[in-house]
Amino acid sequence: MTKVLSESIIVADNVEKIYPNHCHALKNVSLEIKRGEVVVIIGPSGSGKSTFLRTLNQLETISDGTIYINGVDVTAKSTNINKVREEVGMVFQSFNLFPHKTALGNVMLSPLKVLKKTKFEAETEAHELLTKVGLANRMNSYPSHLSGGQQQRVAIARALAMKPKIMLFDEPTSALDPEMVGEVLDVMKSLASDGMTMVVVTHEMGFAREVADRVVFMEDGELVFEEQPDRFFDSSNPRLQRFLGQVL
Amino acid sequence: MKEQNNLLLWKAVFILVMIGLGFGIYASSKSIDYTWRWERIPQYIISVEPKDIRSPFDGTVQSVDIKHHKMVVQPDQGGDPFIIKEFDKVNVMSGDIVFEGDPLAEVNGWRIGPILWGLIVTLKLSFVALIFAMIIGLCTGLARISDNPALRYFAITYVEIIRGTPLLVQIFIFYFFIGTVLDLDRFTAGVAALSVFTGAYVAEIIRSGIQSIHPGQMEAARSVGMNYFQAMIHVILPQAFKRTLPPLAGQLINLIKDSSLVSVISITDLTKAGREVVSSTFAPFEVWFTVAIMYLVLTGGLSWVIQKLEKRLSASD
Repeated sequence: MTKVLSESIIVADNVEKIYPNHCHALKNVSLEIKRGEVVVIIGPSGSGKSTFLRTLNQLETISDGTIYINGVDVTAKSTNINKVREEVGMVFQSFNLFPHKTALGNVMLSPLKVLKKTKFEAETEAHELLTKVGLANRMNSYPSHLSGGQQQRVAIARALAMKPKIMLFDEPTSALDPEMVGEVLDVMKSLASDGMTMVVVTHEMGFAREVADRVVFMEDGELVFEEQPDRFFDSSNPRLQRFLGQVL
Repeated sequence: MKEQNNLLLWKAVFILVMIGLGFGIYASSKSIDYTWRWERIPQYIISVEPKDIRSPFDGTVQSVDIKHHKMVVQPDQGGDPFIIKEFDKVNVMSGDIVFEGDPLAEVNGWRIGPILWGLIVTLKLSFVALIFAMIIGLCTGLARISDNPALRYFAITYVEIIRGTPLLVQIFIFYFFIGTVLDLDRFTAGVAALSVFTGAYVAEIIRSGIQSIHPGQMEAARSVGMNYFQAMIHVILPQAFKRTLPPLAGQLINLIKDSSLVSVISITDLTKAGREVVSSTFAPFEVWFTVAIMYLVLTGGLSWVIQKLEKRLSASD
């Protein structure tokens, strides 16, 4: 693996994504993210923001361009993508918890099987993580017995169990009932204050305003505009204004 | 209260119809002047007839110890004497000259009769074929959804050939062609034919099971650093297995029933044992009913085990 040293932990350079059905999902997207930075990506649905997020851990391959994660070119054939993914946690809109495992089992699985930790070690760490996301009393519950908010918090703990350097959030609160959004955002806020590098695709403008170091606006597969949150929402960019006019 | 009355009524209807059915069978056998001889059947399941001990060679009875139930026979040709350590009735005396095959003594006790022996063969055949069918099915099912076109085409070709030809023909091919080329015995050829046949259906069941799991599961497993096989083994297959348990149970029950076809290559399974017993008892109705009940015991046992398994796996629902 060739390492490119840079203070940016994520470097996306001219990323292109064209689906086999000729749908041009990402057009020349470039973005650099520094260690410890929290970047929120907003934009209308179909703008390519989720696709872009998924290219970062190669759940989505790209047609052209390069992506460096922690100095490693993830699109290179010689790169072991599984090693990269150990450093990049991901939280999905639909939670995607493993339904046949308890909350504890979900969190323990990859440390046990990928990092080959002992059962004792994995369980101790899983206990800590689930306590941290406020689920100390639901460790042995199966996902089907947990609320949406609780499931999403287990999913965050599961991603954290690999001790990632980067966390990707793909609309983590979009599938939740309104009263459960807060508990998930609180966990994300505490993660951000711990110094985790985070890339968050969301419609929660409040979260963007409060937590983000930078907000990125995407539309039609293009990265239109990026700015610090205080200046972002007051920007006069016409495309952004039109979008904000629709959602706010 | 009213609902309960209705329930009772319908249960009564069921029982009455079943009794009627039984009477129908009895009446129809009367109408063709059939004499039921159920008493002939048990001895073919477990035999309590005394068993003859026969002389293995021409020789002379050297000693008969009635007290300790021991007998020694010396061969004419020389060599090791034939020693009987246990008998219940003796047919010869010390000093008698005996020929090869002469009954020397009898032992009491029970022995496995031909029908029970057939049941054991069927059980063995089905069990071994079941294991191999699951292995073949799993590998083919995975190959069927693989990204590699060669693997995919192999899997499709195999499944289509097997599903498109009758099992009976496959058994003949396995025994007469493959069995001759590879020098397989009957049992191996039978097991091979059954597992290859069932494997094709298991493969399709497993494939559909895997494809029914939400793609997000694979993505979630990959996103925490698992490789494809780890994700399959720890995340996808356990869920797919649980979902495919009912159709899988049906296919494995079919396997037990299909195993009756191997009697055509002279494996003495339950069906062939039944045919042989019919020819010596002249009691076809009783024998075939007995054989049917034994198949029911096997298939019922398997579905009971699978139901238990389903219950255990439903803990996460």
